[in-house]
Amino acid sequence: MLVQRDLQRRYSKFRLGYLWTLLEPLGMAVVLWFVFSILLGPRGLGLQPYLLFLSLAILPWWWFSKGINASTKVFAKNGGQLRVSLLPAHLWVLRVVLVSMVEFLFSLPVILIALAVTQFWPGPLIALFPVAIVLQFVLMYGVALIVAAGAVVIPDLARIVKIVLRAMFYLSPVLYSISNIPEQFQTLAELNPLVGIFGMYRVGFWPQEVYSLAAFGVACAVSLSLFVIGLLVFRRVEPRILKEA
Amino acid sequence: MARGSLTRGLDAVVEFQGVGLSLPKRRRRKGVGKRQRLRRLAGDSRREEVWVLRSASFTILPGESVAVVGGGLPARQAFLRLAAGTLIPDEGRVLRSDTVIPMVELARALDRTFTIRQNIYLLGGLLGMTPNQIGPQVQVIAERAGVDSMMDRYLGAAPAVQRQRMAWTIAMATHARAYAVDRSLVVGEPEFKEQCWEHLRREREKGTTFIVATDAPRLLREFCDRALVIVDGSVRAVESVDEAIELVREARAQGKLDDPPVG
Repeated sequence: MLVQRDLQRRYSKFRLGYLWTLLEPLGMAVVLWFVFSILLGPRGLGLQPYLLFLSLAILPWWWFSKGINASTKVFAKNGGQLRVSLLPAHLWVLRVVLVSMVEFLFSLPVILIALAVTQFWPGPLIALFPVAIVLQFVLMYGVALIVAAGAVVIPDLARIVKIVLRAMFYLSPVLYSISNIPEQFQTLAELNPLVGIFGMYRVGFWPQEVYSLAAFGVACAVSLSLFVIGLLVFRRVEPRILKEA
Repeated sequence: MARGSLTRGLDAVVEFQGVGLSLPKRRRRKGVGKRQRLRRLAGDSRREEVWVLRSASFTILPGESVAVVGGGLPARQAFLRLAAGTLIPDEGRVLRSDTVIPMVELARALDRTFTIRQNIYLLGGLLGMTPNQIGPQVQVIAERAGVDSMMDRYLGAAPAVQRQRMAWTIAMATHARAYAVDRSLVVGEPEFKEQCWEHLRREREKGTTFIVATDAPRLLREFCDRALVIVDGSVRAVESVDEAIELVREARAQGKLDDPPVG
């Protein structure tokens, strides 16, 4: 518990350049918006207004990919601390997930900017937004535990994770909406928990188009089961992690 | 069993029950790097492991000071970490009735990118103290470690000796009743070393338990009541440090120790 607190405190020291956490995703969102909305024309992907649509998924996506990527390196980086720590090892994974989450929360004003620009206001289902955050946290913690443990056993995993994350970026409805996918693949796509989670972020704005109970259900189920699997895997690998530290 | 968890009603501070531990063998770096990588490409992820401990069973009672000799450096460090619970044995189990502070390469846990003050909280926290417990002690720790004039400077600027002094003082500030000490921690200028030893002796009088690993057991003749000798992965308890020295000499003569002879 202590670790989390002082980690956040310390990380906030680095975050003197807080503005960058805003500018980076904002810049990214604007570029993508420009490409997919202006250059490719309005008939394109996703839902309107596209800038808002995009930033609602790209911020959580960044949280996801940064957190998972960092979790491949936690134990390689913090061996010295792990060797003497009387605290449980999974706190280091928690730390990585929390740090990236804090960054995500800090970057939320980007959405406010998008709101202000587009003047597009959400309905009551925006209540699912915080639910999505919680759910994504659970999912990420599970995945991060697996990845962090795996990276200790198989050093090459870090590279693989990078590629998989890249693939997932395109396989998840960040740039597009699930309705852009051909019918026959939609069910398949909904097995991806991120579909449901991104849907929850967006559903307040487009209650008709994004709403999918199936996807939300899948997201919950997959997140929770990955969380449990993560805990189990981690417990099995923990002796090994400590040894390599 | 969670790390560092304590068993109530145990007589001993630390009890090893048939503990076995294997460690990955240090690969020789020379020339094999490429071949190793090729092997991994070919799907051969074979790792060599060495059993540094095998079916070790013994108890360490409160107030005892026990020297750990023999083995190799990795084996001794692993031993201390097992005792403190920062390493989980492959076989058997280790019980503890009290927190054992692992003083093994403590300085490595410090983070150069944080200020000295933050590092005190960091290491204190790793060793199980809450910020509230550390708070009132920060000044004392800083003074003892001789860093009170540069509390808000980054640790990266501090020389290695100073980092070690810091780590040492922080560990002592936990006021734990048991320590697993790697003797190499007691370094630095002679003055501070003497201070450390004095501190250790005083703590010992108070009934604090010490497990001290060393490659120079002579220095521990007075400090330790008895010794544990690691030879070929098995642990043997002997009544005095002198006996341990003798055993180590014998083992070395038979080529069973890969440790360079010191002390």
